[in-house]
Amino acid sequence: MIYDPIDIALILVKIGLVFVVILTLAAYLVFAERKVLAWIQDRKGPNRAGPFGLLQPLADLIKLLTKEDFRPIGADKWLFYLAPAMAAIPAIMIFAVIPFGAPLTLFGHTVQMQVSDLNVGLLLFMALSSVAVYGVALGGWASNSKYALLGSIRGLAQLISYELSMGLSLVPVVMLARSFRLSDIVNAQSGCWFIVYQPLAFTIFLISIAAECKRIPFDLPEAEGELVAGYHTEYSGMRFGLFFVGEYINIIVLGGLAATFFLGGWHGPWLPPVIWFTLKVFSFAFLFIWMRGTMPRLRYDQLMHFGWKVLTPLALVNIVVTGWWLVLRG
Amino acid sequence: MKILSDIAALLTGMWITWKHIFRRPVTIQYPEEKRTPYPRYRARIVLTRDPDGGERCVACQLCSASCPVDCITMQSAEGPDGRRYAEWFRINFARCIFCGLCAEACPTLAIQMTPDFEICTRDIMDLVYEKEDLLIDGCGKSPDYNFYRHAGIGVTQPRGSGAEEKPPVDVRGLLP
Amino acid sequence: MPKLIIDNIAVEVADGVTVLEAAQSVDIPIPHFCWHPALGKAGACRVCAVRMMEGPVKGIQMSCMLPAQDGMVVSTTDPEAVTMRRNVIEWLMINHPHDCPVCDEGGECQLQDYTIAGGHGIRRYDGKKRTHINQDLGPYIQHEMNRCIQCYRCVRFYQEYAGGTDFGVMGSAGRVYFGRFREGQLESPFSGNLVDICPTGVFTDKTARFRARYWDYDMAPSVCPGCSLGCNTTPVARYRELLKSIARRNEAVNSWFICDRGRFANGEVNDPQRPRTPLIDGVESSRNEALKALLFRIAQTEERYGTGSIAIVGSSRLSLEAALLLPTLAELTSSGALCYFASEEESGRTLPLFQLLTAGRSASQRDVRESDCIVVYGCDPLQDAPMLALAIRQAWRNGATVYTVGDGISLPCDVTTVDRLDAVPLSDAKNPVLIRSAADIPDQLATTLHQHDHLKLAVLFPAANSYGASKLALKHLGVSFEQAISSGDIKGVISVEADIPQKLLEGIPFVAALDWRMTETVQAAQIFFPTTAWVEMKGTFINHEGRVQRFNKVMNPGVPIRGLDPAVHPPHIHRTAPPGGEPQPAWQILAAVIEGLGGELITEPFTGEWERLRGLDAECEGVIINDI
Repeated sequence: MIYDPIDIALILVKIGLVFVVILTLAAYLVFAERKVLAWIQDRKGPNRAGPFGLLQPLADLIKLLTKEDFRPIGADKWLFYLAPAMAAIPAIMIFAVIPFGAPLTLFGHTVQMQVSDLNVGLLLFMALSSVAVYGVALGGWASNSKYALLGSIRGLAQLISYELSMGLSLVPVVMLARSFRLSDIVNAQSGCWFIVYQPLAFTIFLISIAAECKRIPFDLPEAEGELVAGYHTEYSGMRFGLFFVGEYINIIVLGGLAATFFLGGWHGPWLPPVIWFTLKVFSFAFLFIWMRGTMPRLRYDQLMHFGWKVLTPLALVNIVVTGWWLVLRG
Repeated sequence: MKILSDIAALLTGMWITWKHIFRRPVTIQYPEEKRTPYPRYRARIVLTRDPDGGERCVACQLCSASCPVDCITMQSAEGPDGRRYAEWFRINFARCIFCGLCAEACPTLAIQMTPDFEICTRDIMDLVYEKEDLLIDGCGKSPDYNFYRHAGIGVTQPRGSGAEEKPPVDVRGLLP
Repeated sequence: MPKLIIDNIAVEVADGVTVLEAAQSVDIPIPHFCWHPALGKAGACRVCAVRMMEGPVKGIQMSCMLPAQDGMVVSTTDPEAVTMRRNVIEWLMINHPHDCPVCDEGGECQLQDYTIAGGHGIRRYDGKKRTHINQDLGPYIQHEMNRCIQCYRCVRFYQEYAGGTDFGVMGSAGRVYFGRFREGQLESPFSGNLVDICPTGVFTDKTARFRARYWDYDMAPSVCPGCSLGCNTTPVARYRELLKSIARRNEAVNSWFICDRGRFANGEVNDPQRPRTPLIDGVESSRNEALKALLFRIAQTEERYGTGSIAIVGSSRLSLEAALLLPTLAELTSSGALCYFASEEESGRTLPLFQLLTAGRSASQRDVRESDCIVVYGCDPLQDAPMLALAIRQAWRNGATVYTVGDGISLPCDVTTVDRLDAVPLSDAKNPVLIRSAADIPDQLATTLHQHDHLKLAVLFPAANSYGASKLALKHLGVSFEQAISSGDIKGVISVEADIPQKLLEGIPFVAALDWRMTETVQAAQIFFPTTAWVEMKGTFINHEGRVQRFNKVMNPGVPIRGLDPAVHPPHIHRTAPPGGEPQPAWQILAAVIEGLGGELITEPFTGEWERLRGLDAECEGVIINDI
């Protein structure tokens, strides 16, 4: 395959753009979370760094970068250093397959608003989200700490369990769109969003992604009330920062995927597609923050029970029903 | 159905937190906005004087004994009139937790707590207060009490002429 | 052997034991003020009320006055008895002043404890309180009569137990007054015990007036170093200052009391002149530098004057730990003399008498108290060892006859003066004790001892560890320093807490001293190490009868806060160690010197035959060394 140099340049520009935008968004998502949680709790939230506290992410960054890089005695050195990267990189890589706007025609080139329009984009997402599990597992195991180990064991079990229901909930989407390619899935929703056909699959997917990004009420791997900070207890400075920012990138990415699979991606009236996409992502992010401000943490057995005995069977039934429905409709 | 009521419960919670987003925050922006503490607020400790102007503290060590963080030390001494007083008296506010047990324990009402809570400094040694930093020219709470008027030892008045005392016994008297 | 039941616990006690003591024997506390184990009963305070449920007497009774009898059923918790005790406490408190905050007894006051324990918290009576005028009782005892609850303990101790005549009880009814006829210092050499024995704050220690409270005291079981009796004390320190000593009970030794000389002897420990830093030729230096200089000069002296030119001198006030290391040090320095006594006179006063103390021969203070015939021969116990005089008085009170050989010996009891030792009818006595100090006529004594197998001997040695020093001197063939220098070979001296007079050190080019006092030897020394006083270390003394007693560390060495600059309050300085905290126990310094000379590091001075003393508990009665 021979690539046009302009195409390669465009891809590089898109990668750079996505990288910068996602990281900035993740940083401000942290800020937004602190603010919204403060409002929910009748407080003011961070308001000291810059106007309205807007420079708070920068202050946090400086703080994290200047903190001591600490490694516990007995920790597995290389795994310990590798784990934060394993958590953050797959999360941001998923964004490569998400279409965030309508294709644009620029100087005669049709520019896909997507880093790579892979024909198995959905499978790539499933694969990468499985790889991200290693960040949690290795971080906890390499720390040589009981809290971290307990957190990572919980994380492993939780992520594997809920990935199943997440994957199953996406099968009807593929059945409806008849493609693994994410741009095809988006285009298939130009008329009616899949949430209308698949409310159940959407609900299962929403719950599963909340568990995937370890958000309350599914934050057992880092349950601060029981495990200090779970799998990243022993991390400090920017290594902790990578875990942290990876979690928020996950929120953005999974919000983007939820929008792509069920809310028609960038489709929407009046406003430009990129804005629509962004709005949908933000509403998912807000939903997660709101849930965090409202709900208590599940108990571990409740978590497992809910994943295996409720979500997975429901998703299976949903596939069967969707199949019948598709056959009956012709 | 149970699942419906569960979902309703979840949504109720979400609705309550939603409403709180638009509430006015209760936060007081401390250095800019200040609240006046109540008179019985427990902050900086002072040593008061009795209504006659003498030091109330008799250095009996009860405050240092009751102090859970051991931040009070002192040395008592005897004045020329027999008055027991604190030769030196030290409170380490870097250690003090402002629990008020010392003020509670004080039998002469000398040690009292004030609402002045702003005693931060850059140098921790500045938080070690000596008697001259603690002693104030006033009675604080209970302005009428003078321990030595009731103590039964002749300091502020001759022996046997205190508030609840009979004149001294004449040992050599033969009358019953 | 009456058997009785107290609070449902069956007790069997000896004849004549009171119900109060019977209850104490099974750990049932009954409050009491006037009753004291050493003084007996008076029935004055009425606070030990119990209810007799069954038996020969019934109803509310004073448990201290009632001898235990068969069939008694006693309740200390009966509501009637509890109410009675509470009311009695309330009566006692009616005249008690409201001055606990300014009273030195506060915190260690029996009245305070029982008032709170009895549940009397709020004063109901609002009439006026009787007051008294105090007396100046001298520099040691502070008098505050308002606090008196008329338990009569003070006067019973002072007149009956100690034989004092200048202190008594005056007045009648509610005006009872305990004091002297006119103001003045108390004459008894045991007056300090009034402080310990008063259940409230009438008598307090004037030397420690307003210095500290009980809960702040640094204290530990210790032994008085004042004389060779080894009375048990509890020294009390605060802010690195030795405040006072309290008598500690040891029935084999001093029972409940100590003499004033031992009690009011804080001066030397707190002395501002006390040497606290190592010195090399009068210049302050560190411990390590002084050690290096000492090793260098030992080598230099040996080089210049040959082996055998160094004398190691210990003393009879040196703790046993350090004394045990001296032979090792002597061996390593190949010294010419190992001395435990500075002068020939001290050696002569100690060694001959020590040799008479064969197993089972030596008399403890308990033996003196329980003796029926006491001979005081050529010594003055009131001067040399006052507590022995108190023990003699207890024997006399119990019916013993006290003989003094020769005139001029005053004792706090009636004595029969005889001319010669032979004139005492020792054969008629069941357990006679002979008290002796200097040994100018030991031959006659030896003969007497030989004739009377049951005669015990109480020797008054010059210092606290004379027995230990004598034992080691005999074992290691030590000579007195005076004798050692007579040969003229001694050119260097290492003095370990020894009091060598200046004149004996003349012409000796190298003098090193370890001490905690500023003695003549210290002033003459070129190299000096400060050691800890007995209250600043854990150590061991062997008293006059061969009783090994452990004393524990009361306080850390250091300049008392009272002596620091600025005088207004302690300085605001972070320190990891107190100023003047360099002194170490003498044996540890010796161990460092021994290590420096190539010997092995000694971490435990008790080895070999002494090994059994390692775990000796300071709270026990001590062990007789003959038993080891």
